[in-house]
Amino acid sequence: MATHTEITESLMVFKDKYNKNERLKVMNKDWDRVVVIKATDIESLHTLTVWKGVVSLNEGTTEKPDLTVISDSETLADIFYGDITPTEPYNDGTLKILGQEDDIIRLDFISLMIWGE
Amino acid sequence: MQLKRVLTLRTVVATSAGLTLASSTFVAAVQVASYVLGDTAWIAILSGGVLCFLAAACFSELNGLLPSAAGIRLYFGRAFNNQVALTVSLLYMLIVVIGVLGAESYVLARVINEVFPGVQPFFWIVLLMFLVTVINIRGIKIAGHFQDVVTYGLIVSLVAFALIAFNRADFQLTAPFTPGSASGLINAIALGVFLFVGFEWVTPLAEEVTQVKQISQGMMIAIGILSVTYAAFTVAMTAVVPKEALAATAAPQMLFARSVLGEPGAAWMALVSLGASFTTFNAGIISVSRFMYASAREQVLPAIFSRLSPRFFTPWVSIITLFIVAVTVAGIISLTHQYLVLVELAAVMESIVYALVGLSVISLRRRMPDQPRPYRVKWGYVIPTLTIVVFTFLAAAVLETNRMALFILIIAFLFCLVYVNTAVPYLKKKHGQRKRSSRRRTS
Repeated sequence: MATHTEITESLMVFKDKYNKNERLKVMNKDWDRVVVIKATDIESLHTLTVWKGVVSLNEGTTEKPDLTVISDSETLADIFYGDITPTEPYNDGTLKILGQEDDIIRLDFISLMIWGE
Repeated sequence: MQLKRVLTLRTVVATSAGLTLASSTFVAAVQVASYVLGDTAWIAILSGGVLCFLAAACFSELNGLLPSAAGIRLYFGRAFNNQVALTVSLLYMLIVVIGVLGAESYVLARVINEVFPGVQPFFWIVLLMFLVTVINIRGIKIAGHFQDVVTYGLIVSLVAFALIAFNRADFQLTAPFTPGSASGLINAIALGVFLFVGFEWVTPLAEEVTQVKQISQGMMIAIGILSVTYAAFTVAMTAVVPKEALAATAAPQMLFARSVLGEPGAAWMALVSLGASFTTFNAGIISVSRFMYASAREQVLPAIFSRLSPRFFTPWVSIITLFIVAVTVAGIISLTHQYLVLVELAAVMESIVYALVGLSVISLRRRMPDQPRPYRVKWGYVIPTLTIVVFTFLAAAVLETNRMALFILIIAFLFCLVYVNTAVPYLKKKHGQRKRSSRRRTS
């Protein structure tokens, strides 16, 4: 089980990697989305906001997110540290993503661009 | 916490029914009518609809338990094991691509040929598939309200045709309860199931609705509407045109429409067929390309299929591959005219998947007894068991009378089994060798 701090750190790494990638920022300049990350086994909620191509991170949740990423703390930390691809936990049901299919694929693409296959 | 953009029940119903409505369903409807006596096709169609209710109930329980776009891949993985889930999912996608797209393109080619007899039908098929491919690569989604308009427009058109035909023919049921031999009725019901193929493809929308229950409600309503629509339309067709004449053409709906309303009727029906085929091609390419993308991301298919267009964020390699496969299948079918084998093959594959879904419900009740279920099939194991028995029996009945379908199914199954046991471990091993050490520990 990962801690809330570990999830926060993994998201910070994810955010920094993203914001250093100019190509990603250009690609997502029109993709303004609010993504809530929720752990199922510990009290941990974060909000990633993509606004004009730039990602920011806040603790806590928001009223109406575009996407909600739900999993156990260990899987969330692994995904955002890039230790695993989101696809395997998604296909085995460990990871749930609520939102539109296009947005889910875009999020996966961002992960692919940051961490590779 | 609520998502910003969610789908309504109306759109869920339209999507479920829209995925099911296709030009090839008219051919299947005539096949159903041919297996039974007189105007009793409605018995087989409504029975097919009732059986699909059983499967829909099982899908609803699984979808509530595991609401994910991964669908049967996830259900079977949890209920049996990953190997079974992969083999069945690959087989299902393979048969659906070949079966539905092949049969659909052939039927649509005949429809278009009747409207524009001077142009090669194959040209129109390639053109339509190319259009759908471009739309998919550019990521232009059929918006929810457009899907509503197309689906409800198709249903209203079919009901209108049926009512006009009944009126013109001064129709009365002559022998509504004497369908003939038991074997004929069983085959008719099995093919009747094909009329509803695709209703369950709405389950991947589980992540886009506010309440998972809307998916099960949507599936049930769609099956109910389609049962009545198909039953009325099929009985109307056989009331106006002799069954032998309908069975002799790949576009029976055109013959029927022309008999009822002349050339304007034929033009109207051509538009209906075009709309039905367009949504079928589109849904097929979206679903299968996303499946290929997800499979490539978990190293089940070669990594090339996970390539996304950096501009449109769509899996362009998977989409183009599907275009090539679909055009090849359409070409082979236009030369061999074996489209009915594909219809029966798709019906068998659907029946097998429905039987496995029933089995999954039983297995998961034992493996995950305490997991919350927003929808639980009533009467214990009765409905899942009935689903297993009925659909296994229907699949066997079709395969017994169509050895070609059995042969193709066995070959496709062996191909998928060998692929899962040899190519998948190789791809996973190759990926494992390339994988970097954990960043979590090194960062």
